[in-house]
Amino acid sequence: MTEPHEVRGEQWRVEHPWEDPLVPVRPDPLGGILPPDHPLGDGSAPEGGEIQTISSGWRLAVREFRSNRLAVLGLVVLIFFLLFSFAGPLVYHGNTTISNPLNANLAPGGGHPIGTDENGFDELARMMQGGQAAFEVGAYAALIAIVIGTLYGAVAGLVGGFIDGLMMRFVDVLLSIPFLFIVLVIATRYNGTVVEISMVLGVFSWLIPARLVRGEVLTLRERDFVSAARVMGGSKTRIVMRHLIPNAMSVTIVNVTFLIADSMLALAYLGALGFGLSYPRTSWGDMLGGALTYVQNGQWWLVYPVGACLVLVVLACNLVGDALRDALDVRLRRR
Amino acid sequence: MLAYIIRRLGVALLVTAGVAAISYALLHVIAPNPAFVALGDRSSPIAVAAWDKTHGYDRPEVVQILDYIWNIARLHFGYSYKLNQSVGALLKENVGRSAYLSLASLVLALVIAIPLGVFQAVRRNSYFDYSVTTANFVLYSMPSFFLGIILIQFFALDWHVLPPLVNDNITTTWGAIIHPEQLLLPVVTLAAIQVASFSRYMRSSALDTLAEDYIRLARAKGLSERVVLTRHLLRNACLPMITLIGLSIPTLLAGNLLIEYLFNYPGLGLMFYTALGNLDYNVMLAYVVLGGMLTVLGNLIADILLTVADPRVRL
Repeated sequence: MTEPHEVRGEQWRVEHPWEDPLVPVRPDPLGGILPPDHPLGDGSAPEGGEIQTISSGWRLAVREFRSNRLAVLGLVVLIFFLLFSFAGPLVYHGNTTISNPLNANLAPGGGHPIGTDENGFDELARMMQGGQAAFEVGAYAALIAIVIGTLYGAVAGLVGGFIDGLMMRFVDVLLSIPFLFIVLVIATRYNGTVVEISMVLGVFSWLIPARLVRGEVLTLRERDFVSAARVMGGSKTRIVMRHLIPNAMSVTIVNVTFLIADSMLALAYLGALGFGLSYPRTSWGDMLGGALTYVQNGQWWLVYPVGACLVLVVLACNLVGDALRDALDVRLRRR
Repeated sequence: MLAYIIRRLGVALLVTAGVAAISYALLHVIAPNPAFVALGDRSSPIAVAAWDKTHGYDRPEVVQILDYIWNIARLHFGYSYKLNQSVGALLKENVGRSAYLSLASLVLALVIAIPLGVFQAVRRNSYFDYSVTTANFVLYSMPSFFLGIILIQFFALDWHVLPPLVNDNITTTWGAIIHPEQLLLPVVTLAAIQVASFSRYMRSSALDTLAEDYIRLARAKGLSERVVLTRHLLRNACLPMITLIGLSIPTLLAGNLLIEYLFNYPGLGLMFYTALGNLDYNVMLAYVVLGGMLTVLGNLIADILLTVADPRVRL
């Protein structure tokens, strides 16, 4: 958080020169306003039609996001894997339910592009199923966590005082319990359906969002632009709808992508330890449960394609999350 | 300073008590009592009632929870009904090997991550910086067991330089220390995962420090770049790492669990995993509570160390 970026962010918030059509503006390609003495902005009045105005912070955020090539790549990877998991089974049919020892452990080739596993299940079709599980569990768990976390954090931040302190001490206590351990303890009892695992993961990952939203609400309440809106006679609804919610939303949206990535990783850990989904559903982690045996037997096709899917999807989620944070959180904009 | 430490210690004790209470209550909800585990699935109701009475599981829940907190305060972790020994003895037996694995990987991670982050910051936006950032991003998104598998594939199966699993003969901490080749792969795997997050923070911390006036002054004085980097930059840029290490303890413990499971290294994590399979509730509970205690303790020590190391941090 170096000085110039901070200044640029404040300028963006306070002055809003583009809202005045009479002021010629040269937008910074990185999403701010160039000072007149900047080499890119020559300071002279621009020709007509050259002026690019920005109507809202959201459009600015979209542009910022699109300028980050890695993030766009991440988004493309995510879309590819969504299609692969959900549209793939419509195109490619492989046996994933009837075990067939005669077909077991076949190397890639023939009717099985990525071979078969020890049950004779088609590996490619199983990978598609694993992708479905990853996206479903990621989305449900993130949704549960974000709803609980946002409500809890917003209530704590708005109420304040003693209740706020009490609520946050409770979060501190829960945060001190290592996430994976407590989930594993509960995993000894659940049945391994997508909904159940998502609920367990979601119910234990709302703590960080709750903290972030509370902090955001606390600072937003005191910010100058909120006071300004109030002074200008903005109604309470307008302040909440136009100022508080859009600004707190950015924290939530950024956090959702990280929550999805973390839930997918947690699902993989549970699967690898043998506490994943139960038959006929499977996850990438479940498929990697016997990975050590597979590599020792030289059955690379049962390990590396699945592992690559897992790493790529989590990586893509993290890239998108990072870019969203850069794009939405003007105060953090560093590039 | 002393008042601050005492206050923080009080909060830490309260949080630990809260951790014990919540873990116990949670276990109580999902598994009312361990009688069926101890006596078998088909034990008669009379036997279960008698067992409950002798072991105190017939008392009101609140009393049980308070009693458990009191036991934890005296470091009594209960009794493992599956392994027929006290959980305390089990922990004592395994804690050395786990601590060795964790500490070795933590030290290795710091030794790699701190210089890496500084070099990235100094040569920022160079190819070196970009490639390290990319590698970090991939490592950060990679489950530790998958990284372990890849390392086993190369170092053990393809090149035959290291053993794929930790040898069963490694039964003591001393044994693990005098056979470093046995533990090299687990330690490296666990360290690599931590390097990913540490060097990311180290880079941004070093970047912030590089912009400080005292760095410019040190250069203006004519100090050599090496002295500027080691004396002035490194010391200041490392300060946030103290907090980060404190915060990364849960990740370290979770990594420990997966790595011990993957490499079959007998430590606390493997003990916990076996307990999960056996439904050995007191062992599971003890490990969760111990994890919570270490997390609280780590944060406490990190905060105190930071105030010692950085006089600008006021209490």
